[in-house]
Amino acid sequence: MHNSGKNITAAFVMTMLLIAGCTKEKNVTFGVNDKVVYEDKSLKTKRKSDAEYISILYTNLYQVPISPNQLYKTQNVIYSIGDRNVANEMVLSNYFNTSTLKIPKDSEMRADVAAFVEKCYKRFFLRYPSEGEKTFFINYINSNPNVSVEMVYTAFSVSDEYQYY
Amino acid sequence: MVTAGTVAAPYILPTGRMFARTNAPKAEYVVMVMFAGGVRQQESVLQRYLDDSQEVTGAAGNIMPNLFTGIAPDRKIVYGTDPGGGATRGSEPIPRILSQSMEDTGAVFKEMSAISAGHYVGLNTLITGSLGTAQGLKTRPKYPTIFEYLRKHAGFAALDTWFIANGLGNSTPLLNSSKNEDYGLQYGGNMFAAPYTFGGVGREILGNGKPYSRADLDPMYFMKNFLDQSFGLNPNQLETIKNTDEEKTKIKEFIRAVFQRQDQGLIPRPPVSDNGDAVTISYAAEVLRHFKPKFLTLNMSAVDGCHSNFTGYLRSLHRADHSVGWLWNYIQNNIPEMSGKTIMIIAPECGRNLNPNPILDENDWYAYDHSDANAMRVWSVMVGKNVPKISVGSEGNKVGKLTDIVPTIADIFGVYDEVKASPYLDPQSKSLFLRM
Repeated sequence: MHNSGKNITAAFVMTMLLIAGCTKEKNVTFGVNDKVVYEDKSLKTKRKSDAEYISILYTNLYQVPISPNQLYKTQNVIYSIGDRNVANEMVLSNYFNTSTLKIPKDSEMRADVAAFVEKCYKRFFLRYPSEGEKTFFINYINSNPNVSVEMVYTAFSVSDEYQYY
Repeated sequence: MVTAGTVAAPYILPTGRMFARTNAPKAEYVVMVMFAGGVRQQESVLQRYLDDSQEVTGAAGNIMPNLFTGIAPDRKIVYGTDPGGGATRGSEPIPRILSQSMEDTGAVFKEMSAISAGHYVGLNTLITGSLGTAQGLKTRPKYPTIFEYLRKHAGFAALDTWFIANGLGNSTPLLNSSKNEDYGLQYGGNMFAAPYTFGGVGREILGNGKPYSRADLDPMYFMKNFLDQSFGLNPNQLETIKNTDEEKTKIKEFIRAVFQRQDQGLIPRPPVSDNGDAVTISYAAEVLRHFKPKFLTLNMSAVDGCHSNFTGYLRSLHRADHSVGWLWNYIQNNIPEMSGKTIMIIAPECGRNLNPNPILDENDWYAYDHSDANAMRVWSVMVGKNVPKISVGSEGNKVGKLTDIVPTIADIFGVYDEVKASPYLDPQSKSLFLRM
């Protein structure tokens, strides 16, 4: 008798739990607002390897990836020169001597210097310029009619910041 | 004897720091040759040729006539050029370039101690003057290099100090600077791994560059310098040596000029230049001719073929002597600014074993590795301005060690005490001028 009472109680509890567990779940959808994430220059503390630097630079300028063979050869040539900046500048000047680069025309730069400067910072540094940086470049480009897109791109490409991430 | 104790007048470094030279300079220029990649005493300074290596009795003699004084072997000549016509390969020795051997005009340290029987540590010893036997490959020297000492203490500009490496292997392109916190890359020397920079691949990657004018470059550097200031890299984050914008421009102009001179067939070459060392030496001569650097060191390595080819080793040794003799001659006759004002120092970074390994070559001669006590035996030759004619030490009487080379160079440039005060230098090292 005593055991039979316990069994009835247990069955009752299990039934109630089963009923409670079968409650239909609410259909909730979570969303994320679109947000473009840019880098912060103060957080760029890791230097790109030569291979990373060359492949990123090449892709940036040609909009196609560099071939492994070309990457290997370029990497070795850079390693063969003591001042890496000299090597990078020479590699870059070879790139600028080719016709397949994907860069804006000088007239496009001159048409909207502020937009060009902002695009440069985003393209090379993956961040927006500060007001000071923006002002410097706008003033410099506007007051120096001989400054070309090639010159600005060279300055960004061989800058210290472009070699870090 | 020349000593290192004279106090000279103070002068002001380019940095603006007042600085008193610790001793009078002995010469205006130094060229150091890191000779060849593991050289046995027996076939070089001891002039025993096959007598001591392959048990060919009566085949002793000098196969390095530009460095050492002595009669050439008269048996089994294989180290020269090929006369053709069915004659024995290599049976025509290359004629001596110098009118007198360096031994006849300079100082020879006949028996010195190497610090290591390996290449990279040996090269580090020559270039740092330190006992860094724990030096690893693929890392920069643990201790300051001679480039850093000279740039920091003698006030040399980056273009005053050059290292011409023989290639990309064995981590040699890293020897132009340490990352030492007291010295480091801001004081590093310029460097070309010349056979690669100026070889086919270098030409493909660098040879089509735009020759920017000053008017092009000034805005580029102005904008770059603004960006760099904005980023604010710390000196300890430097990963490359530092040239000024003007120095960088000069280096780029030089690289372009070399490619043009290649096209015009104007690169000077030793008369026999059929191996990599001759190519390295050629570009060292180009750098000397163009920049007239106060200090240049170059690395050779062809004799390392001795691991598997003794005949090839003899040929490379003979050619290394030929190339170095040619370079010394080139400086005297083609670079008037350096002629009569230069000291050349030559030393292998390590020796080679007493006993051979089992590998036989085309002449059935055994090859040699470098790992035993015999590989710790080396020599050094010094020639040029203010170097007396003297022979120091002998077999069984070691005088000097490879860590002496750095203080010797410091002594030549008048910054001996400052460099000797470095805690990174082998404390027992000293100028070879003080060991004469």
